[in-house]
Amino acid sequence: MKLPKIRELLEAIKSLLTKPYTSKFPYVPHEPYPSFRGQPKFNPDKCVGCLACEQVCPAEAISHRDIVDDGIPRRIMIHYTDTCIFCGSCEANCIADNEGIKLTKEWELSFFDRSQAYETIEKELQLCEICGVVIACKDHLKWIAEKIGELSFSSPTLYQSYLKGLNIIDENILKAYKDKGRSDRIKILCARCRRETTLTTK
Amino acid sequence: MALSRVPIGPYHPLQEEPEYFNLITDGEKVLDIEVNVGYNHRGIEKLSERKSFDQATFVIERICGICSTSHPFAYTRAVEDVFPVEVPERAKYIRTVIAEGERIHSHLLWLGLAGHFLGYNTLYMWVWKLREEILDVMEILSGNRNNYAMFKPGGIRRDINPDDIPLVLKKIDSIVPTLDRLRKAIIDDPVLHKRLKGIGILTKEDALDYCAVGPTARASGVEKDVRKDDPYGAYDRVDWDMIVTYKGDVFEKVVVRVLEMYESIKIIKQCLKNLPPGEIDLKLKDIPPGEGIGTHEAPRGETFHYVRSDGTNRPARHKVRAPTYMNLPTCEATVIGESIADATIILASIDPCYCCTERLTVFSPEGNKLYNGNDLIKLSQQKTDKIKKEMGLK
Amino acid sequence: MPDRNEILNELKNRYKDEIVSFYDKSPRRVYIEIKSESIVNIASYIFKELKARFNVASAVDARSHIEILYHFTLEYLDLLISLRVKLDRENPTIKSLTSVFKGSNWIEREMYELMGINFEGHPNLKRLLLSDKWPEGVYPLRCDYKEWDNNAIRDRGV
Repeated sequence: MKLPKIRELLEAIKSLLTKPYTSKFPYVPHEPYPSFRGQPKFNPDKCVGCLACEQVCPAEAISHRDIVDDGIPRRIMIHYTDTCIFCGSCEANCIADNEGIKLTKEWELSFFDRSQAYETIEKELQLCEICGVVIACKDHLKWIAEKIGELSFSSPTLYQSYLKGLNIIDENILKAYKDKGRSDRIKILCARCRRETTLTTK
Repeated sequence: MALSRVPIGPYHPLQEEPEYFNLITDGEKVLDIEVNVGYNHRGIEKLSERKSFDQATFVIERICGICSTSHPFAYTRAVEDVFPVEVPERAKYIRTVIAEGERIHSHLLWLGLAGHFLGYNTLYMWVWKLREEILDVMEILSGNRNNYAMFKPGGIRRDINPDDIPLVLKKIDSIVPTLDRLRKAIIDDPVLHKRLKGIGILTKEDALDYCAVGPTARASGVEKDVRKDDPYGAYDRVDWDMIVTYKGDVFEKVVVRVLEMYESIKIIKQCLKNLPPGEIDLKLKDIPPGEGIGTHEAPRGETFHYVRSDGTNRPARHKVRAPTYMNLPTCEATVIGESIADATIILASIDPCYCCTERLTVFSPEGNKLYNGNDLIKLSQQKTDKIKKEMGLK
Repeated sequence: MPDRNEILNELKNRYKDEIVSFYDKSPRRVYIEIKSESIVNIASYIFKELKARFNVASAVDARSHIEILYHFTLEYLDLLISLRVKLDRENPTIKSLTSVFKGSNWIEREMYELMGINFEGHPNLKRLLLSDKWPEGVYPLRCDYKEWDNNAIRDRGV
């Protein structure tokens, strides 16, 4: 069978003259396609600290810690790189227009010490002014007030957070703070304290 | 008559995954075969009872790395069958494109491995270089080369950008000339004819009795394919043929898989050219109580999922059946009577995927301690410390 | 071409004493509940006369009893028939189907070790997937399964 041999010979000569298929990584960097799913990163300006990504993550790779006794009350969001499966559920379910946590294109993530493989950001927390329990992050309350528009003026917690965020607090409200009467009605409160101050006259 | 025992496995250079076969031989002829499975069991069915319906898709995707689309596809069809409800048209077309892209890459992988088992390492290297083009296509469409995370009950998660479609079509057209050359080389080669024709014959009666599925059964004349019998996705809207041959030996199984790749390329091109506009997700909120069954034609056969829900947001029972589960017992009918030298290629010709079949148990060398995942992590941490000390980094 | 309704009516009339309920859910799915003594007769009728293909059998632990579902596919009608059998939770036993077709060998071994169902007449009823060190009488897929291994660590491992 002569013809297959000539076909193979031509093939061999062609392969000698073409350049190799492999790239010269790591001397030449590798740029993945635009839709590649790499390492997720939090965005401190857009994230509101609502914990939706933590509930949705299938691998339980996001968690949080609330610190209330030490300095300014804050919530630390932690993302564990070694458990993450890069699925994109956190980005798809983020309530802040899918911008609070985004998947970048980084893929060179190896490390030697497994206990250091996490990233954190901090968000300020809002505490109840009577009993001191955690309500939510300040940015989250502002987000809710903006989303429901004029209806937020029905709840002192919501409109106070909104107005404080805009730095416009009325003189009347500040005078009412010093009033010895029902000033509890216009403080930022958790749900239980709000129910007690509305229904009772303590 | 002196009988001897030849074990293949659990770790063997000609088997890709751990499995234990015991051949009882007389000289060179095989008289009996025993199969011992269970080296890859991970308890997937119990795990998916602790996750919600949406999160369970990610656990199911990781049953197998090669057939990573076939299990979520069958699972989402099963959950949609509880109502039953139909997904939007655009989602059906995109699901079909991803499933067929996976079929091409899986058949190319198997072709390379078959070449490696026979001793043709050049074929192995060539075919896996061709496979890189398909993996690039999957990365453009879904973001990752292997676990695509595109499926969700009620539709798909991410849309395809229309600017990417010309690049995808160009890449797919570029593999056709090399595929033609490989097909001619395989079908005309006299050494392959002598090695593969006439061995490991599975007759049509045996294939029906053991209930075999996929290319293993289609090479024996059984004309069954889920994509034609129970149409779903976009398979009834595009034009393609089912490949069936009638002799049932190992050579016919190779031919069926090579010809199926051409049909997949035809389907992908037609789907991408006629992609309808519209929604991609139904946004299902609550699954009512009931039961559902979903099937899909994976590259190895028919995958079957059964889901029962009791009204909460977690599945109450989830049953997974991979195609290799039904194909593996046919080795009793095909290996007995052949010589030992042919046994490995016959066992590899059913395209076994053992991690799909079972759903890891690791023993320590003394054989008395059962390791689980966290023990293995501690062992690998100790080894990393040792390496760091040797490199002088600490 | 045989008609779907003809075949289903013929099945209903032939075994009308043994069928407990018949649920026609959609054009492609039918669920039939039968008594556990007559599984071999009905399964061999569906496999041999109607030329169906056996898919798989799944065992479910409902709280008050154990159910087994046998799924058969009829490709020429685009139909999937599921036979449901209810068994007693204390001592579940049923006849094996290996005498009818060989495809049920492995799935019955798996149901025996993971759910604890005893199959009478099976040629080789031993463990398929679990290791030999697993204790007797502990069935993982039942709803009252408790973790038995005290040495296993169950946190993130860091």
